Amino acid sequence: MARVFYPLERFAPAPAGFHLLPFRFTRLHGKELLVNEAGEFLFVPTGTVQSLTDEHLDTNTELYRDLKAKHFVYDDSSSPLLDILATKVRTKFDHMSGGTKLHIFVVTLRCEHSCDYCQVSRQTATRGEFDMSTATADRAIDMMMDSPAHAVTLEIQGGEPLLAFDVIQYIIPRAKKLAFEKGKDLDIVVCTNLACVTDDILKYFRDEGVRVSTSLDGPAFLHNKNRPRPGHNSYEKAIEGIERSRAMLGMESVAALMTTTAASLDYAAEIVDEYVRREFHSIFLRPISPYGFAIKTHHRTGYEMERFLDFYKQGLAHILKVNRGGYRIAEVYTQILLAKILTPHGTRYVDMQSPAGEAWSVLVYNYDGDVYASDESRMLAEMSDWTFRLGNVHKDTRRTLFTGEPALQMFHASCNQSLAGCSDCAFQSYCAADPVYHHATQGDMYGHRPTSGFCARNMGVIKGLFSIIEENDRETMRILWSWVTGETAIKEVVECV
Amino acid sequence: MNQPESTGAPDAPHAVAEINLAIVSAEALLKACYWFSRDFTCEIRNRNEHVADVILTPRSAASASELAVAKDAFTTSAMDFALREKIEAKTSGIRDLLLAKAFSESGVLEDQPEGVFSDTVEEMKPDGMFKILSNPQH
Repeated sequence: MARVFYPLERFAPAPAGFHLLPFRFTRLHGKELLVNEAGEFLFVPTGTVQSLTDEHLDTNTELYRDLKAKHFVYDDSSSPLLDILATKVRTKFDHMSGGTKLHIFVVTLRCEHSCDYCQVSRQTATRGEFDMSTATADRAIDMMMDSPAHAVTLEIQGGEPLLAFDVIQYIIPRAKKLAFEKGKDLDIVVCTNLACVTDDILKYFRDEGVRVSTSLDGPAFLHNKNRPRPGHNSYEKAIEGIERSRAMLGMESVAALMTTTAASLDYAAEIVDEYVRREFHSIFLRPISPYGFAIKTHHRTGYEMERFLDFYKQGLAHILKVNRGGYRIAEVYTQILLAKILTPHGTRYVDMQSPAGEAWSVLVYNYDGDVYASDESRMLAEMSDWTFRLGNVHKDTRRTLFTGEPALQMFHASCNQSLAGCSDCAFQSYCAADPVYHHATQGDMYGHRPTSGFCARNMGVIKGLFSIIEENDRETMRILWSWVTGETAIKEVVECV
Repeated sequence: MNQPESTGAPDAPHAVAEINLAIVSAEALLKACYWFSRDFTCEIRNRNEHVADVILTPRSAASASELAVAKDAFTTSAMDFALREKIEAKTSGIRDLLLAKAFSESGVLEDQPEGVFSDTVEEMKPDGMFKILSNPQH
């Protein structure tokens, strides 16, 4: 017997009218791209926004149903489903809950490298007065454990922190003891160039569950050019250190980061191939930071953001090609942005948060006890710009750090929702504010978006990703989705925050 | 393309975008100028109460065709900011309620959102967020 549907009059009629829910839009590839408060998006034909604002859109069309399903409109036959949309918005901002999670300890400024672009303002390897004292370490650990966050990450860096291994050995057991007493989860990462690593140090890291994050700028010629040291063997030391660390700690406990100097720009594919050769499954194509020594040496290491974007596009294209060939490797910045675009979640990556992650998500405890809003803030201080020094562990509490004038000034410029140029931007949900970057590059925490390198980079990358999404090549999207949902890939993103 | 009488630099090549002020507000016009400020100086001259001329003078050399493209892009940008204002006007109330709902659990709300919002599902709930926010005595 043939199945018979109820007659049409048994079904609800198409709605007579509709109401708008808040959204932002831009024009891309001959279409309009709509993005709602929760970051959900929809490509629609040109003219749709005008039809929506004029309330002339036909409610009996597939387009209307798509707009309704994605929370751009509601009508009398539906509730605005505000609870659902509110939950999605809250999920997007989940990184804000719990307070500061990442705590960076600069245990020494000493380093045996002399990189032109060094972000750390290193001191010579023998000057022990630039090491963190036990009294300062005690206060910094107390402050870290005062954070309301249930899970905190202790990131130990320098200079080259292994030159102050005794300080590391002092900090780790005390941090673990306090974390246990306060019922907190504690994750420990040491950022090192691995040139000075020994088996005893690695055994200690293994026994204490410490992970290692190191630097690998590309093939030998490039890495050694970027990272001069006595013996001109930074690359060889790094590779040897990576292998030894993996053997002792396991593959998953060793991550690498690269920095893109002017010398790197012509070698995107070679850099990616180096990461593949070394069996890494993620690579972060990062522009050089405009802080610290990088400002002094800009003529040697710097470049325009447009050149970086070309480098990034070439690198991403090569990474996708490598994935199509069967080797899984993710580009971390793409991964961070795709997670924001394609999923309900935000990011733990502090440079891409709004409100900005500075202080809110990360605090930096310098060797001398000064507390900064981010690592970049500390680099500025090394250039005699103290704008983002929030206080000192010996004088302040967590409350005074967050209510002092430096923090409050910064917080005012921390929300892209209220910044000129950002407040109307369709990409607001995926982007960030970064007052420290804009203070450093434009002398103004609020920044001027049309001339901002931060804006140019993110606008360029996000538009490129939306082009890929709109093109919807099945194989490319399968790869990109695997970066967002893949277990290893997500883990490696966290290591980079 | 219209050529203005003077831009302060009379011989400098420039484009003139004619803007209907009945459609594009001064605020929307300023936002369009903001985004063009990297590549152009933007001078707004009110021809009369209904029409403004925006004189776009490039900061570096530009061809006639590039100026024509810039003029069209500016007009589109200004119209888009006018559309954004209309969206904002139609949705700011519900946006306030949405954000209030999203972050009410944090306990940081200082002000109740103003107005009454058409949320029939929420209104039916005895302890719904709508009633809590609309009726402080609840």
